[in-house]
Amino acid sequence: MTSAQARKYRLYRLQRNVAPYMFVLPGTVFYLMVTIIPMILGFWMSFHSWSIIRPTKPWVGLANYQKVLANPVFWAALRNTLVYTAGVVPLQMILALLAAMLLNTEIRGRTFFRLLYYLPVVTPLSIAAVIWTWIYNPNMGLLNWFLRTIGFQGRDWLGDPKMAMLSVIIVAIWSGLGYKMVIFLAALQGIPETYYEAAMIDGAGRFDLFRFITLPLLKPATLYVLITSMIGSFQVFGLVKVLTGGGPLDATNVLVMWIHRRAFADYQFGEAAATSFILFAFILAITVIQWKIMGREVTYE
Amino acid sequence: MRAVGYRRSRLATVVGRIAVYVIVSVGAVVMAMPFVWLVLSAFKTLPETVLFPPTFFPKNPTLSNFKQVFGTIPFGRYYANSIITSVIPSAVSVITCTMAGMGFAKYRFRGRNAMFWIILSTMMVPFPATIVPLYVMVSKVGLVDTRLGLIVVGLSSASGIFLMRQFIMSIPDELLDAARIDGASEFRIFGQIVVPLCKPAIATQSLFTFTSHWGAYIWPLIAVNSDELRTLPLAIPYFSGQYYSFQNLINAASLMAVLPVLILFLFAQRYFVQGITITGMKN
Repeated sequence: MTSAQARKYRLYRLQRNVAPYMFVLPGTVFYLMVTIIPMILGFWMSFHSWSIIRPTKPWVGLANYQKVLANPVFWAALRNTLVYTAGVVPLQMILALLAAMLLNTEIRGRTFFRLLYYLPVVTPLSIAAVIWTWIYNPNMGLLNWFLRTIGFQGRDWLGDPKMAMLSVIIVAIWSGLGYKMVIFLAALQGIPETYYEAAMIDGAGRFDLFRFITLPLLKPATLYVLITSMIGSFQVFGLVKVLTGGGPLDATNVLVMWIHRRAFADYQFGEAAATSFILFAFILAITVIQWKIMGREVTYE
Repeated sequence: MRAVGYRRSRLATVVGRIAVYVIVSVGAVVMAMPFVWLVLSAFKTLPETVLFPPTFFPKNPTLSNFKQVFGTIPFGRYYANSIITSVIPSAVSVITCTMAGMGFAKYRFRGRNAMFWIILSTMMVPFPATIVPLYVMVSKVGLVDTRLGLIVVGLSSASGIFLMRQFIMSIPDELLDAARIDGASEFRIFGQIVVPLCKPAIATQSLFTFTSHWGAYIWPLIAVNSDELRTLPLAIPYFSGQYYSFQNLINAASLMAVLPVLILFLFAQRYFVQGITITGMKN
């Protein structure tokens, strides 16, 4: 081997060894910069009294957490978040599964229907909320007009503290349904037709097919949808912010809304960071519990 | 006996089919109604929007609402802001995610599994849980209330890295090795073999990030104070709060704001579906 060849070979080895890092680093660094580093900083902040105006940030131990947990507004926000989650997640999942099953049958125009059901997912949520605000308008809104036409009373959908959360939940179900439907559709299409044929030869009815084939085989997809929906609904913000602003009378004040308010209206950054970690802990707990309950035998390959 | 059973099941099928169509159509009406209502109302005159009972089709369809929006608020500027802060992060993150996907899919190197595991496990970290410290960081480097401040948070994404990795893993190693034997460098292999094969995944990833940035709300709300930097998702709710009695203008503005993503979706829906099924199912 000549020395020129040796150099060329060394260079080749070098670029082979360096290349993987060059590929991986930009994406990883940009990503960790806006996730891990803020997480660490946030954790640090949650143990310090942090205010924009004061230059010193004294250590306060668990004081921020204590203040958050002693605040009735936090508990109200947590309760509202749970109500929102309980209102959105199960119903949306059932509707999404129903839509997926119906649109998986041989019906005319199913591509068109799938498209329609998915449209709200790509619509910017805050703009969708503006459209819905108008639909919910008590005086000239489409919804009250419809209710009155079929003989019901109109309501103050967003202005009545008793109705506001329901109104938010309706929009949330509308906006996220299509996404879950597509996941269920993909899972349904992954079930081999032969399973159904074999069961039908054995005399299984339609309900049996659903109960003993479809449902068990949809378990991984269901678990995935359940976890992501719950994580998502714990983070609801933009929709509520635009539809109700957290009101009326804090009736729709959710956790992220409260974090946002504590930090950027009250400038209690330490407390806001502590609340963020409580939120994070909740999400982590829910995920772990769901894994445990639904079983780890679910294969995710 | 047999004939009776056959007939009954046929009747049941027909009834079932009709039921399916009815349910699916009712659902479609509910899902599409806000859009239909928005489109129809964007062409109505101001007096017609406050009529009760409301008219369905505009009586005197007009385009003046669209023009008037630009005269009432700096709508063109908001639009430009949205384009800039959606296109740049989408373009950059497609590049960084594809590269990272290549790295994680096709090489064994020290720290690979640890890095990939960290990226995956932070996927479930809720973004709202990091906004407060992220704001502190961005303000420390002086990027609050700048376009760059909106862009920096979107230069890469875990789901993007994951999507590209899954896709690139399906490219046979033999193809890469053949190019290596011919003396191609790793970067050349990436640019001339992997990227062209990744086109569908790249399309998916671009569409996904573009739509998510086009609708981004919470971060722009925090990171931007001045009116001239507002993006459409911020500007339209603000506008509808300020000019709440001008529903015709609000509708025209909303329609123009959702149009790009709707059109994009209608033309490229199969890429969307593909993206969901790759990132969604193969977790």
